[in-house]
Amino acid sequence: MDAITKQTEAAKPFSFKEFGDALTEFFSSLKLAIFLMITLAILATVGTVIQQGERPEVYIKEYGESAYWWFVKLGFVDIYHTWYFSTILILLCINSLTCFHQRFPAIWRSIRQDKVNVTAPFIQNLKRSATVDLVADRGQVTESLGMAFAERGYRVLVNKGETETTLYATKGIMGRVAAHVAHLSVTIIVAGGLLGNVWGFRDFGVCLEGETYHIPQGNFDLHVDKFWIDYYDNGAVKSYNSTLTVIENGESKLTKTITVNDPLVYKGIWFYQSSYGDSWDRVEKARVVVREKATDKVVGEAILDWKKEAVLKDLGLKLQLTDFVADFGFDAKGRRVYSKTVEHENPAIKLAITEQEHQLPPPWIFYNYPDLFDIQGSKYKFELTGYLTKKFTGLQIAKDPGVLIVWGGSTLLVVGVTLSALIYHRRVWAKVVSEPRGVTVYLGGTAYKGQIDFDREFERFAERLKAQGKPTV
Amino acid sequence: MFRSLFLFDVTFWLYLAAVCLYFGYLMASRAILQLAPAGHSTVSDDNGWAQPLGQLATWVTFFGLVVNGLALGARAYERMQISGTFAPWSNQFEAMAYVSFAIIAGYLLLELKYGIKAIGAFVVSIGFIAMGAASLLPYRYQTAEPLVPALNSYWIYIHVSITLTSYAAFAMAGGLGVMYLLKERAERRGMATTSVYATFPSLEKIDELGYKAVMVGFPLLAFGTILGAMWANYAWGGYWSWDPKETWALIVWLIYGAYIHARMNRGWEGHRAAIYQIFGLLMVVFCFWGVNFLLSGLHAYA
Ligand code: HEM
Repeated sequence: MDAITKQTEAAKPFSFKEFGDALTEFFSSLKLAIFLMITLAILATVGTVIQQGERPEVYIKEYGESAYWWFVKLGFVDIYHTWYFSTILILLCINSLTCFHQRFPAIWRSIRQDKVNVTAPFIQNLKRSATVDLVADRGQVTESLGMAFAERGYRVLVNKGETETTLYATKGIMGRVAAHVAHLSVTIIVAGGLLGNVWGFRDFGVCLEGETYHIPQGNFDLHVDKFWIDYYDNGAVKSYNSTLTVIENGESKLTKTITVNDPLVYKGIWFYQSSYGDSWDRVEKARVVVREKATDKVVGEAILDWKKEAVLKDLGLKLQLTDFVADFGFDAKGRRVYSKTVEHENPAIKLAITEQEHQLPPPWIFYNYPDLFDIQGSKYKFELTGYLTKKFTGLQIAKDPGVLIVWGGSTLLVVGVTLSALIYHRRVWAKVVSEPRGVTVYLGGTAYKGQIDFDREFERFAERLKAQGKPTV
Repeated sequence: MFRSLFLFDVTFWLYLAAVCLYFGYLMASRAILQLAPAGHSTVSDDNGWAQPLGQLATWVTFFGLVVNGLALGARAYERMQISGTFAPWSNQFEAMAYVSFAIIAGYLLLELKYGIKAIGAFVVSIGFIAMGAASLLPYRYQTAEPLVPALNSYWIYIHVSITLTSYAAFAMAGGLGVMYLLKERAERRGMATTSVYATFPSLEKIDELGYKAVMVGFPLLAFGTILGAMWANYAWGGYWSWDPKETWALIVWLIYGAYIHARMNRGWEGHRAAIYQIFGLLMVVFCFWGVNFLLSGLHAYA
């Protein structure tokens, strides 16, 4: 009966257990780990050589049309977010978890229980070994060896027999535990990163002083109190600063001045000082010079605040700065003026003019082309001779719920890698065998790494052992 | 204007002298061995130039390290005057001067612990090259311009110094790799005990020291990179943005990660490990120099 069952099993072409074992074998192999690390390194290199996330023109100009086609096909323009890059990362995690699962239990067990009783040939076959004949008492030699090991921080186990005593001393198993902590931490970091990708967001906002913005992700408002730049004595920029106030349900909750290295955090949403610039659709102030058409003489000048009426009494004028564009453009279909770019290429203001209590159709006045239009129904010509730009502050707005997990994993990684580099696992065995005249000691040991330091240590043990024999001679 | 530049110059010349002395030491040890009677191929202590040259080399190196340290200190003071931050590793020049400081300091610790002077000829040379390359930079790179806002942060003290220290450890591993290959070649030609290679330690020892150096650099680079990520989280609005510099730190780290694991079971020790250490060093050099000058990114602080 038994034999028949066995036969059917052997004949079965596919066994889940075998397949599972093979799979575990594959995924816990160091070869795979090395392959994945090198592959990841190569893919990451590709991403630093080819610029990422640029506009198509940039690639076509540098590499040509067909190369660009291939880049897009292969994902080289955004390689860090391709399916194959993620796959390699996930495989590395699976790899290190399987490795942990396969090897860690044995290491953990060996903290508590280890092979104490070994044979003399086993000791002689270890990487470092020495055999010493001594004219001395077995108990004494055992004790002094035990002391020597303990002094160096070893944990010593002794097994006393009829005619021989075996000592086992070990140290530094924590170094190997630490290596496995590092293995776990890699997965934790990747998991944290993934979490942030799925449930986090990153936005960019152009914000003006004095304005309030709604932050839908947090259901609160952000008021920009102030934006300014500090300079060093030599004129270089020292810092960009924005003072922000969080307003929730009409109440101010928090006010903070953020700088490039010091963001504001509210409800897990981070506000970073990211950039700044000159606003393209409004100005702080503008200076307008008034000339008399008949004589072409300057008869007046006004500094206009944004959207505030200024009165020039002796000329009978009321002026108001109602609009601004940095790069004048006209949308003929929508009959709308707009700024073509954010650069101050062709700045213009719109001026509301009331002359002798009579409102004129508001003209656009160009900084670069003072004489472009004649303003009908007015005695005067108006020139825009200068303006004070309104700065905007560029805020990066981000939320990343995975970030704490990433920091936790990172801490474990650093601690694990550091401890595994500092602490190395060493094992020493000594067998003290009673002989007719004294004892024979077989001393041997191995170190998992750190061979030269271990050599020196082992040398010292052997010296100390040899010194034992002398007094009794 | 920058007094520290004078001290950096002095450091350069002292390191040059130290390199010459270490090579002199290698040459002198060879002479002793050739004179010694057959069968006594140990370096005799009280005879010839080797001993005094070796001593002098160590002292000159130590003196160079002190001046290097003073130069960095003076630069820190100048930075404090100009901009109120002191990190003397805030541009390419200072970073390289700091790396050479770390390499030399690491080497002296190694010599103190193991007393193998022959390594000096290789490792001090790399420290010297780092210092020399720094002094070849144009003057405008050598001054202490105030920090741009993105770098003006206390993170720069710890993130940059730790990353640079890891580079120094990898540099040491690279130097030991070169030494390994030379010694190996000498052994193949049967001249390992008679030529300048006489005072080289055994292949096994060189190999092990190289591995140790990597195991110093590996955790430091991990720590430095993670600190960089934390800084980025404060400054750029995200801890990882695949900027070329941080990506290259990861690449270098993965390369050494592969090295550590390859040693473990594929038996990549000795010859292959030595070549790999040299390759790793080249990658570090690219990460340190190449990225700053060839690739653009958020880290381009030169
Ligand atoms: C990127 C992620 C990884 C990191 C940071 C890492 C880190 C480390 C470190 C620092 C050590 C100690 C090295 C030493 O003591 O010389 C180590 C050992 C080891 N690693 Fe990894 N490792 C990673 C991935 C992997 C993977 C995927 C495997 C899968 C096979 C693996 C297998 C091993 C093994 C078997 C050891 C020896 C552990 C022992 O028994 O002491 N590692 N690792």
